Amino acid sequence: MQEPPVIIMKELCKFYEMGDQVVRALDSINLDFRKNDYAAIMGPSGSGKSTLMNIIGCLDTPTSGIYELNGQNVAEMNDDELALARNREIGFVFQTFNLLPRLNCLRNVELPLIYAGVPPEERNERAAEALRKVGLGDRMTHKPSELSGGQIQRVAIARALINKPSIILADEPTGNLDTATSHDIMNIFGTLSEVGNTIILITHEEDIARYTKRIIRLRDGKIESDSRK
Amino acid sequence: MKLRETIIQALSSLSVNRLRSLLTIMGVAVGVFSIIGVMTALDAVDKSVETGLTSLGANTFQIQKFPATVFGSGHSRNFYANRKDITYQQALLFRKSIEKSARTIGFIITSMGNRAKYAGIDTNPDVTLTGGDENFSAANGYNVSAGRNLSESDIRYARNAALIGSELKETLFPGGENPVDKSIKVNGEVYTVIGVFEKKGAAFGQSQDNFLLIPITRYLDHVNEKSSIAITVEALSRKDYPQALDRAIGAMRIVRGLGVKDPNDFEIRTNESLIDSFKDIKSAISSGAFIISFMSLLTAGVGIMNIMLVSVTERTREIGIRKSVGAPRRSILRQFLLEALFLSLVGGFIGIFVGITAGNIVALKFNLPPIFPWLWIAVSMIVCSGIGMAFGIFPAWKAANLDPVEALRPK
Repeated sequence: MQEPPVIIMKELCKFYEMGDQVVRALDSINLDFRKNDYAAIMGPSGSGKSTLMNIIGCLDTPTSGIYELNGQNVAEMNDDELALARNREIGFVFQTFNLLPRLNCLRNVELPLIYAGVPPEERNERAAEALRKVGLGDRMTHKPSELSGGQIQRVAIARALINKPSIILADEPTGNLDTATSHDIMNIFGTLSEVGNTIILITHEEDIARYTKRIIRLRDGKIESDSRK
Repeated sequence: MKLRETIIQALSSLSVNRLRSLLTIMGVAVGVFSIIGVMTALDAVDKSVETGLTSLGANTFQIQKFPATVFGSGHSRNFYANRKDITYQQALLFRKSIEKSARTIGFIITSMGNRAKYAGIDTNPDVTLTGGDENFSAANGYNVSAGRNLSESDIRYARNAALIGSELKETLFPGGENPVDKSIKVNGEVYTVIGVFEKKGAAFGQSQDNFLLIPITRYLDHVNEKSSIAITVEALSRKDYPQALDRAIGAMRIVRGLGVKDPNDFEIRTNESLIDSFKDIKSAISSGAFIISFMSLLTAGVGIMNIMLVSVTERTREIGIRKSVGAPRRSILRQFLLEALFLSLVGGFIGIFVGITAGNIVALKFNLPPIFPWLWIAVSMIVCSGIGMAFGIFPAWKAANLDPVEALRPK
């Protein structure tokens, strides 16, 4: 028997009021993600990619419809429940990396574990392990400013992995990187997918989307196509 | 998240803007300093009050024109100044009428700022010239260490005899020369030294030994005949003290020719009344210091709030990142609140430390033992915590409630 989907979205809508106009950022989205999915969400700017990512990532809640994450209805969660869901279920990788510049790699990677209440020794071990996995075992005490863009993004990936989340959510992860480095990063995602992680990428680059196994195209807040390889 | 982690986080955030944190801390420190400094100094002085103000002997009270301290405007000062002087004749009459209910009755007149001379040595004009009688030393707690006390006949014949205080002795007779039977000159008048008083020490930073005592009759004849006399009365015993006080007041009213409805036109000073009047001064100073300190602490609190708001704005992205990896609201709230609390508490500690140091420098000047005003230290710490919380809560609340989507949006 197949496992139930990790993410279920039914008739999901997100509207914004801009003055007297209502912007339909997401309009009746029906979408499922299964464990081990490796998907890219594509679309031109203004298509609702970012809004969808914020909702999947529990940073925002939908105006209407159902969003179930591992059987929990996110639409009904309060701020602290959302924070808990982000901590347990989601690992973020951002286009702008979003590491804390004052902390070294190890401290940045262990940040989610601090809020999960993991004791310091275990945190340290797990963070070191995650950094080794992304090939940065020798850069643990470096600060982000001492690393290249590709290395910084790998630190961010290590942070996303640290709490063994249900989903790794990457928003334009290669947007600030050159082609060769982008290739490296996409290889890391490929490897993570092969070992059983669920990965959702947001991108507007066809080259990047080609690395994934499923491409979902959005236009004007609606799903235009959803194709698996 | 554990409290320890939050503390480490708060400290490391504050250390990024060292100068800014320090300046904010200084605001609190100044407020706390002012209250702790004043309170330490006051407590130090307070400790010496019992000894300093109980300058009158046991079971002794004093009747005179002015109260121990005059508070308020020139109006109340004039009120006392306009009273008639207590004359020598009144004093003698008074003595006669209560002679039986008192052990000793002494008369005193003092004038400050005199200059004494002996063998080419000239003192500063800070010598107190006291006119008194044979009871002066007992009533004021002085012992004669060399020579003799004033005698009744010295008073009766208004002799030019003088006893000198230990400090005046040191000034005029520096080489250990025996002053007895030497002639000294004060304001052009010549006196023969008949005795020296033992050292009594300072009260309120003022020496009580830089003076000379001459017969009151001599004082009235040759120094100033228009002086108001202070009368010291020693009761027969502790038990008789209240009765002696009542009799003395009654006798003084008769001597002063007061009608039944007239209020007393003289003051009774007791050791207690002196301490009471000091307590009045003390409470006025401490409430003043408290109000001023509280105001400056409020200002410092506004400074903390200001700097924390700036910090929240500057660290919007950090807050967004923390939230994205799962920081709950209370955790962010606690982090920023702890930073504010830390600023105000460190300020408090500095203020307490500097305040106690300054206060004890004052204590040292008064030759008093060091003081730690525990009560005010506790009050300051509580007030500082309160200020940190009260002014830190709004910025912290603002940080905790930032929308993570907004906070993460690239600027």
